[in-house]
Amino acid sequence: MRKELWFLVRTTLRRIFRNRSNWLIYLGLPVAGVVLATVLYGSTGQPDLQVGIVNGDGNARVAADTVQFLGKLDHVKFANVTESELREQLADGKLDTGLILSAGYSDSVMAGKPDHIALHSVKGATVTAYFKSMLSSYVDNVSAMARIANGDTATFDRLYGQYSGAGFKLTAQSVNDTSNTKEMSTQSIGFLLMFMLTSAGSLSELILKNRENRTYFRIVSSPISAKVYVLSNIIVNLIVMAGQILIALFFMRVVFHLSAGVPFATMFGLLALFALVAVSLSLAVVSFAKSSSAAGAMQNFIVTPSCLVAGCFFPASVMPEFMQRVSDFLPQSWLLAALGKLQANGGLADIGLNFAVLLAFAAVFFLIAVYKFGRSDDTRNFV
Amino acid sequence: MNVLDIRGLTKKFGDFVAVDNISFKVGEGEIFGFLGANGAGKSTTINMICSLLQPSGGEIRILDRDIKTQSRFAKQSLGIVPQDLAIYEDMTAYENVSFFAGLYGLRGGQLKERTEEALAFVGLGDKAKSFPKTFSGGMKRRLNIACAIAHKPKLIIMDEPTVGIDPQSRNYILASVRKLNESGCTIIYTSHYMEEVEEICSRIAIVDHGKIIAEGTKEQLTATVTDVKDIVIELKTATGGEAERLTGLPGVRKASQEENVIRIHSDASVDNLNRILKRLMEGDSEIRAVEEREPNLEMVFLTLTGRNLRD
Repeated sequence: MRKELWFLVRTTLRRIFRNRSNWLIYLGLPVAGVVLATVLYGSTGQPDLQVGIVNGDGNARVAADTVQFLGKLDHVKFANVTESELREQLADGKLDTGLILSAGYSDSVMAGKPDHIALHSVKGATVTAYFKSMLSSYVDNVSAMARIANGDTATFDRLYGQYSGAGFKLTAQSVNDTSNTKEMSTQSIGFLLMFMLTSAGSLSELILKNRENRTYFRIVSSPISAKVYVLSNIIVNLIVMAGQILIALFFMRVVFHLSAGVPFATMFGLLALFALVAVSLSLAVVSFAKSSSAAGAMQNFIVTPSCLVAGCFFPASVMPEFMQRVSDFLPQSWLLAALGKLQANGGLADIGLNFAVLLAFAAVFFLIAVYKFGRSDDTRNFV
Repeated sequence: MNVLDIRGLTKKFGDFVAVDNISFKVGEGEIFGFLGANGAGKSTTINMICSLLQPSGGEIRILDRDIKTQSRFAKQSLGIVPQDLAIYEDMTAYENVSFFAGLYGLRGGQLKERTEEALAFVGLGDKAKSFPKTFSGGMKRRLNIACAIAHKPKLIIMDEPTVGIDPQSRNYILASVRKLNESGCTIIYTSHYMEEVEEICSRIAIVDHGKIIAEGTKEQLTATVTDVKDIVIELKTATGGEAERLTGLPGVRKASQEENVIRIHSDASVDNLNRILKRLMEGDSEIRAVEEREPNLEMVFLTLTGRNLRD
């Protein structure tokens, strides 16, 4: 059986890739997806740092001035939030960092011993370093002034007034903003998912095309069983998609220097799992379709809208909540979510559920396809 | 030895019985004609022999082995020439034959040799590197045959292999069928062209409504038709509707017309030729020729099924 299987796989691959336009369709389009994501998301410039502030020190002078000072920084956007909102939004990735000024913060700075201040982040120092250093500098300066004044309010006011009124010359040094490249790479992966689904669809349609040109019946009336034939189609599909994944990841990393923030092997494994889902979905569609044109129409009806809702073309977070809930029923969404978790320094254990759900999608689609194929008594009047 | 042995074969699609408990045998070296009008159950039977459909009941044995339990052996022994072309347009003639022969386990030098042999057999040796889209209908039909014979099957099923092709290609194919048979192949042959079946088949089965209603040599079958005769009348010009005027005449069972030729299927015991001619001449038809035919397969088919093979 193995020899027959590889014979079919080799012949099918040769047939597919003898047509030059198929090179472009199957292997060129994923690269085009990377380019498209780079163009769409690469020109957004330096993104604003989203900071949530919990001001528990009320209207105390230093606390209010600290907030005002930080508000003048470039590329920083503030939102006043409660402590629970801060935790939630940090976990959701809506905020990059959170500043908590507890009651007593102003007094502690005035006493020369800054306390009751905390900075929270889940994205690490690379994202918050700039903000943290500006904040530390401000707090240290003010507390130094307080120490010099040694409790003399008039001296402190004079020093603080000079400090506040002084102009600063800021020398800025650019640092690599990984959040932007991660977003670009995520959208590149989103486009790749769409192309994988599309090519899986068109490769599985070969089964229907071979039925239409009757060669399928010639094949299954030979010692090759229908199961081996379908298995060969699945293997061809997986080989082509493995090629797509490798090429897309190569172009992302080597040519466009887009680091997804996820190790190559993990990323490949995750996408290979999605390849299984794509093949099983395409087989399920083929099992229901009466002709290759009907299958093509069904694929179009499924692939593009589902990719749109799942956040393959733009982040799902910009969509209404209802649509975000709908995306929970889409495998693309689960893959992108797994990618997000890995980018947020999550480990493989953190994507266990995503992995299981993707496997379940693949299993269900396969079972539907097997059931439908098994019940077919349609020989399309072969003889 | 029987190459094919079918016993009590039945196929049901829901309540519809497409093949109804049929049994027949095909001996080694035979060219077995399998005749039936559209929907008679002929294609369903062939699909079951090819393992494309699961029978609802009965048994199919190829070379004394049950195809249910020894499907691989049965398939290995079979070659299929389907009515509709089953070839890849984007593969050369050589690649097509080589691919389909490869499905039967042929590899390397043996595959190359058999592929070249099959192409030469159907007269396409010099077209090995050409794509089927450049072929005429007859050449495609020949390629269709080459794809079925390269693995040297014991039993070849040919379904309408000459449909829609020019007389020259048709003669070539018929000669090829005989040559294959002479080389030891057993052949099951279906065709809408009764004269082809009469010419090449050693034994014939007629299927109607899922049942075999007659089986035997051409002579045995025609001998069963003693009570009917066929009269063929050629008119100089036809206005249409001439055949309809003949229905109702004594002894006339069926009258059909193709352009200016009228075929009358009539009781042999009734002497009605003069009445038929008179009725035609009353309608101002001018008669060019009249022929009373000897019993043939077409008459047998019409008598047994009540319809023409092409109905």
